[in-house]
Amino acid sequence: MASSTSCLLSWLVFLPLLWALVGLCIPTNTASGLKLSKLSALIGSLVTFAVSICVYQQFDPASAQAQLAENHAWIPSLGVGYRLGIDGISLWLVLLTTFLTPIVILSSWESVEKKVKAYYALILALETAMLGTFLAMDAFLFYTFWEAMLIPMYFLVGIWGGKERIYAAMKLFLYTMAGSLLMLVAIFYLAYQYKLQTGLGYSMYLPDLYMVKIPSGGYLAPQSLLFLAFTIAFAIKVPLFPLHTWLPDAHVQAPTAGSVILAGVLLKMGGYGLIRFVLPLFPDAVRLYQTPMLVLGTVAITYGALIAWVQTDVKKLVAYSSVSHMGYVVLGIFALNPTGMTGAVYQMLCHGISTSGLFLLVGMIYDRRHTREMSDFGGISKVMPLFAIAFMIILLSSAALPGTNGFIGEFMILLGLWQTSQVLAAFAALGVILGAVYLLFMFQKVMLGPVTGDENKRLKDLSLREVAVLVPLLIAVFWMGFNPGFWFKKMQTSIDASLVPYSQSAVASSNAEKVGTPWNP
Amino acid sequence: MEPITLTPPPAFGLTAQQLAWLTPYFFVLGGSCLALLLSVYEATKPSISVPATIILAFLGGIATTLPLIEQPPTLLFGGMLIADGFTAYANILFLISAAAVTFFSRRYLLNQDLEHTEFYTLIALSALGMMIMAASTDLVMIFLGLELMSISVYVLVGFRRNDRRSNEAGIKYYILGSAASAVMLYGAALFFGATGTTNVQVGAIRAIQMGMGQNALLIAGLLCILIGFLFKIASVPFHMWMPDVYEGAPAPVTGFMTTGLKAAVFITLLRVFSSMVSVPALSPQAMEAFQNVLWVSAALTMFLGNVAALQQTNIKRMLAYSSIAHSGYLLVGLLAGPQSHDGFSAVLFYVVIYTIMNLGAFAVVSAIAQKGDTGLELNDLSGLSAKHPGLAFLLAVFLFSMAGIPPTAGFTAKYYLFYSAIQAGQVWLVVLAVLCSAIGAYYYLRVIVQLYMREAIAGSPLQNWKPSRAAVTTALAAVILVLQLGIYPAPALKMLRLGPAEAPAGGAPAEAPGH
Repeated sequence: MASSTSCLLSWLVFLPLLWALVGLCIPTNTASGLKLSKLSALIGSLVTFAVSICVYQQFDPASAQAQLAENHAWIPSLGVGYRLGIDGISLWLVLLTTFLTPIVILSSWESVEKKVKAYYALILALETAMLGTFLAMDAFLFYTFWEAMLIPMYFLVGIWGGKERIYAAMKLFLYTMAGSLLMLVAIFYLAYQYKLQTGLGYSMYLPDLYMVKIPSGGYLAPQSLLFLAFTIAFAIKVPLFPLHTWLPDAHVQAPTAGSVILAGVLLKMGGYGLIRFVLPLFPDAVRLYQTPMLVLGTVAITYGALIAWVQTDVKKLVAYSSVSHMGYVVLGIFALNPTGMTGAVYQMLCHGISTSGLFLLVGMIYDRRHTREMSDFGGISKVMPLFAIAFMIILLSSAALPGTNGFIGEFMILLGLWQTSQVLAAFAALGVILGAVYLLFMFQKVMLGPVTGDENKRLKDLSLREVAVLVPLLIAVFWMGFNPGFWFKKMQTSIDASLVPYSQSAVASSNAEKVGTPWNP
Repeated sequence: MEPITLTPPPAFGLTAQQLAWLTPYFFVLGGSCLALLLSVYEATKPSISVPATIILAFLGGIATTLPLIEQPPTLLFGGMLIADGFTAYANILFLISAAAVTFFSRRYLLNQDLEHTEFYTLIALSALGMMIMAASTDLVMIFLGLELMSISVYVLVGFRRNDRRSNEAGIKYYILGSAASAVMLYGAALFFGATGTTNVQVGAIRAIQMGMGQNALLIAGLLCILIGFLFKIASVPFHMWMPDVYEGAPAPVTGFMTTGLKAAVFITLLRVFSSMVSVPALSPQAMEAFQNVLWVSAALTMFLGNVAALQQTNIKRMLAYSSIAHSGYLLVGLLAGPQSHDGFSAVLFYVVIYTIMNLGAFAVVSAIAQKGDTGLELNDLSGLSAKHPGLAFLLAVFLFSMAGIPPTAGFTAKYYLFYSAIQAGQVWLVVLAVLCSAIGAYYYLRVIVQLYMREAIAGSPLQNWKPSRAAVTTALAAVILVLQLGIYPAPALKMLRLGPAEAPAGGAPAEAPGH
């Protein structure tokens, strides 16, 4: 592929980092300096969002190719290139990232008091790493961003987190690292196979790696082992049962902004990785492991929902609801049909919006009361009507009420899954009911009934800043709920392309031979 | 032995080419002699003149080595030494390490009331030993270089002579190190007995000519030599001495041992090993047996080094165990070298990066060390970032790099090393290695937790003290290199590729057939 002249994607990726470095130079000894540094971070994230809108406008939905591609030599001797590109799947995840970042910066305006400058710099650096992960078209670059992301996340949880923050930060770091190191070995293997099979030298370029033929057949064939190496790394991130145990700790201990970014964007990387790497690279192994993955996804949905049900800490409940909701994403992907896949991508976006909203709301109430125990609350809706409205809407979107975004995603996933396995679809649908149960149960305990306790009576309703944080999310909930076509039309071509190896004809023609791969002209 | 093609008349029986190659050696030797002379005048009141002389000698050595990198290989002293790109790179690495240690240790020595000029002279002499080792193709020369290096370091380890731990470390290192040297010497004798020469390259060729692929004497000799090397790089099961020695030695000396000394031993091992492999001197069965020995040693070294480091509470001791773990990674690369497409360049790259990041880390540790090398418990580091944000940041970058997190050079180096091992078909060893790295991440992160996530303990020794400027400068330079080589390693990789390609035995390592 010829190198392109546009460097819009590079700007998008590195703008937050540059902005963070500039922001570090602002002296924050005075109150006005402090305010300036917050403001600078907010403006930086908004400018990044504007750049991502430009990317959106230049994106051509008709093509499944990686667009706005950039391709420069980086470490030629290892076949590593600086390669960026965007397609219909990464486009929306990129927009989700740039959309959520200003929101989390605004949300931590008053709740973060120590080391303010470093905090915002880390959030912006994290944004760079996240965008880089979604846009990388080179396995080395992808891995670099993927691992580099851990550094700011580790500090965000470890410095600004709750009581058990150090334990949670360690667990988050080591879990992710252990999984991704195995993926690294698999990447080496693929790159080396590419060299052996083509005789062209090393390459880490994804479309090149897609052409590698790996012997398959059996649960321990090379292709299956590679599949497992990649899938475990991504399943930890998703997180898929039984690799989810880092998530409750990290989510609960992280500061609100950290939880929002974790739930809103970082978990999506697992799903994105499955679509970008696992599906095109290992079609035979995916078909082989389809049923176990679907079963694990269903278990995750039910298990996450049941555990969420018995939580007394609101934030923990939201954390376990993530396990449950991300289970749908795995189901949608491994249903291996366009409906399920579209649902999976859509569900990632919806979960990004609704769970972020829930974490923000929990954070707001925690800032006021410094507790998250459900029993400490009661009848909040009478004292904080605006808060109650926002809470209700976000909650119903999370519980997938028709008319909200959550419904579209889960409905399409179940529809797709029905075509693959009706039994599992029935079980997964049970999870939808359970989801409504624990969420409404929580709402009732916290918000409804008579106002309990003097402290609860004195609670202030949402401030203007908090309204500004929530309104974009509420708009997104309804926009995505009523007009899904707007979102689907940009992703459809890419989704179809990523499922080419799984189309009926491809399956029929041969098992060992890969027929077509996305972005392969 | 050498072709006589040069017009200028040879001086001291050496050609101009050979003289040019020996200049860096003269610089270091001259520098140490001059420093010894100066010491006489400064015995009571040491000034900056001795370290300055030594550093100038090192810089002179580096400056005269640089133009030699591209020069064709030259044999010196009747084939006892070989001077090639590989030697040049190695020498630059040793000199940089020695210069940096000299640079940042003065303030440390003043703080500890240890300012004796002999310290610098010993560093220079040990650097000279390393330079001789790296150029040797002859077991006698290897032994000479090794002993010059080791004896200087034995003294340096026990340099805090009023401290029992330092004394213990010095004695321990001396006794065990001598035993290892003896084993190695015995191996050299057996090698000579089998082949009739002490030159490894000539010996390897003779071995193949005389069909000694299975010769017990030769195999036993090589095994003894290998054990000597494994002892010096502290690979399991010859690692017992290391934690005590590293903990007892003054911090800058520990830094010197993990960087220059280790690099020297490893580079020499690389040369001997590749001479044996590229010929190949041994029968396939014997070769496989050697590879199995290395495989087991690499696996155990990585595993035990990392697991033992988990429990350490002293940062110097922790870095000692981490150094054992890194020896294990290096052995993986060494094992894979002959069969991977890039030969040994991945190992060389790793040695370079490891030297840089360890130098930086020990510069910071030396700056932190209080009198009697106290203040190095992990708890003493709590809240360092609040008092000294710069120092904490520098240390954090080195720790992330050692843990192999992008975008630091530690990641690039590990990436290249493990990639080359995959090419050699060592998939399971690499899987083990990455799992060990994941274990390793824990103890590096634990230090970062202390630096950034805990509050300073009241009355900690770090409350009122200013870090030495020289140490911070060294660490800063190392950080710049670590980040630069992490983000854009292409030029360095290209440069290092030149080195080993022509280096050992003057022939490229055997190109492996595809799998």
